[in-house]
Amino acid sequence: MLGAQLALNAVALGAAYALVAIGFVLVLNATTAVNFAHGESVVAGGFAAVALTGALVTLLPAGNAIPGIVLLPGVLALTALLGLAIAALAYLPIRNRPPVSVFVTTIAFGIIVTNGLNAAFGAAPRAAPALLGTGTIEFLGLTASRQSLPIIATAALLIGALAFVLQRTQLGRQFRACAQDPEMARALGIRLTRITLLAFALGTAFAGAAGLLLAHQFFVTPSDGAGLILKAYIAVVIGGWGSLRGATIGAMLIAFFEVGVASFSSQPLAEGLLYVAVLLVLLIRPDGIFGEPQRVRA
Amino acid sequence: MSPLPRIFVTTLAVMAVIAVVGLIYFPRLLPDTTRIPVLVPITGFLSLEGTSQRNGAELALRDSGVAFDVDDTGTAPETAVNAFERALASGRDGENVIAVVAPMLGTQMLALVPLADEFDVPMVTVSGTARITELGSPNVFRFFPGDVVVKAAHARYAVEELGAKRPAVIFQTTAYGQSGRAELDRNLTALGAPPVFAEGLDVTVKDMLPVLSKAQDSGADALLLHLHAGPTALVIRQARTMGLDIPIIAGSAMHQPETAALLEPRELDGVCAESGASPISESDPAMRAFVEQYRDAFDREPDAFALAQYDGVQMVLRAFELGARTAANVRDWLSTQKHEGLAMTYASDGKGNMAHSAVILCYAGDSRVPAIVKRYENLTGVL
Repeated sequence: MLGAQLALNAVALGAAYALVAIGFVLVLNATTAVNFAHGESVVAGGFAAVALTGALVTLLPAGNAIPGIVLLPGVLALTALLGLAIAALAYLPIRNRPPVSVFVTTIAFGIIVTNGLNAAFGAAPRAAPALLGTGTIEFLGLTASRQSLPIIATAALLIGALAFVLQRTQLGRQFRACAQDPEMARALGIRLTRITLLAFALGTAFAGAAGLLLAHQFFVTPSDGAGLILKAYIAVVIGGWGSLRGATIGAMLIAFFEVGVASFSSQPLAEGLLYVAVLLVLLIRPDGIFGEPQRVRA
Repeated sequence: MSPLPRIFVTTLAVMAVIAVVGLIYFPRLLPDTTRIPVLVPITGFLSLEGTSQRNGAELALRDSGVAFDVDDTGTAPETAVNAFERALASGRDGENVIAVVAPMLGTQMLALVPLADEFDVPMVTVSGTARITELGSPNVFRFFPGDVVVKAAHARYAVEELGAKRPAVIFQTTAYGQSGRAELDRNLTALGAPPVFAEGLDVTVKDMLPVLSKAQDSGADALLLHLHAGPTALVIRQARTMGLDIPIIAGSAMHQPETAALLEPRELDGVCAESGASPISESDPAMRAFVEQYRDAFDREPDAFALAQYDGVQMVLRAFELGARTAANVRDWLSTQKHEGLAMTYASDGKGNMAHSAVILCYAGDSRVPAIVKRYENLTGVL
């Protein structure tokens, strides 16, 4: 029964990580640039939920709590705006410079976000409201946090909606065209800047959603961004640079190591084994599980 | 439009030259000012504790007549070194630095010790890293009880008061965590209850079910934590979720009001923690006055780090009041005198360890304010 419990926890954690990794890949595909402020965008999502709770709770009668699911649209909107700011300030002005310039500007933007959140909210860990309710529920002999199942459902819904947009809509086709060949896409009349801005907004909104999902159960502090960007990066390396499906698989694998492997070894060993797995993937499939050779991007 | 009159332009130019020359030379014309630079980590992963350290120092220095300024040391040793050199060396002619409030981050302190010796100025800190007082420097004064003190209290409470015979230890893999783990191991073994399970956790670990299930499988009868604030709350919440029914005695991160705020009072029921002090738990009038003053000044609850740094700076100010006018005078005072602080009595053990007492506090499940259930005075025998 413990195994099932661990599996549930791993899937819930992996679902939230998958949102982070997918947001990262969206920007990567649209710009071929790595957005190192992505981890801070997750953190910003968590703090957006904390701030919105503080603002809304004053409108309710005393003693009433606000479920996190109510905050989700607001968090998505606020972090999408943050994504536009990252694009406008840290990417578009230097998009024709070498990629390392974007590394530096997005790292700088991330530091500004971290210190801004530190100044605004303080350094203490904060908790966002639960999506639907707190405590535990029992089913099939498992004792699960009330947050776990809504995390999985919300992540699945968002990822499904994104897959639908990318595969079934004209906008999605434009996204994919820009990911595969930006110059040709521009020649065909696709407005590359508009797609870039949309990618940053959408990718950062996904990061914000992950922040909301993680910030109740696992809390959020201004300095969490560095660890999260590392996880997104590893997920993308495992899954394949630029593959949304690969990013999801990579995120699930990270969660499996963090929860599953750690349960029968030790946490430091599990972390070491994760990096061994990354090296093995790179040795056997240098482009990741769903990487470039298959041309399955977006 | 007519050009500006020549006399007007000339006057502006002369005023500009006077301003520039004045800016360069004015500090040299000031009378001697006694100053205590406050160098603390208020950004980065230790900013919660660093902010408490800053607040404690600032509260003590306000209205003291001693000048001070705060510089953020972040988390990198070189940032701390630069801040220290700026505070003591650059353009501060005419100022008399009698002590420095030094960052609580151990790696930064280790980098600053040679500088303090070079500048011959005492550093007052609340860093818990054992090694900073083992380097033979006469300029390090630690006002927060180190692991030697608090982990002795931690282990003794678990074994002597709660009857633990098979304790499990979960610690952070950072230098802070490993230092505490070593002291816990030593004390528990000496008390006849060596740990049956011990595992280190990285600070980024989110799901605590794996480590807790292994602790449970080990047959542990008490869980001792030595973790930072967020992981401490995560472990306690997960332990409650999985119904782990053994006593939990946490490290000093638990005593911070910000940590308790992450958990519901019912989740805290029965949880205990070690700390140097717990200002919000005390009923002593002087301590209550400190708590009120702190709340008014910073709109938050004080913790043991803030109180320890407050006491440390108060000891320096006391030396100053009684005639210590130079860094050497203050160092001699700190090395040889006792000080009755709000949290405890402070005195150096010859290495700069000033704090020798600890408390155990427990939560009753109906509020986030713990009660002090046990005091361990003078654990090192120095006083």
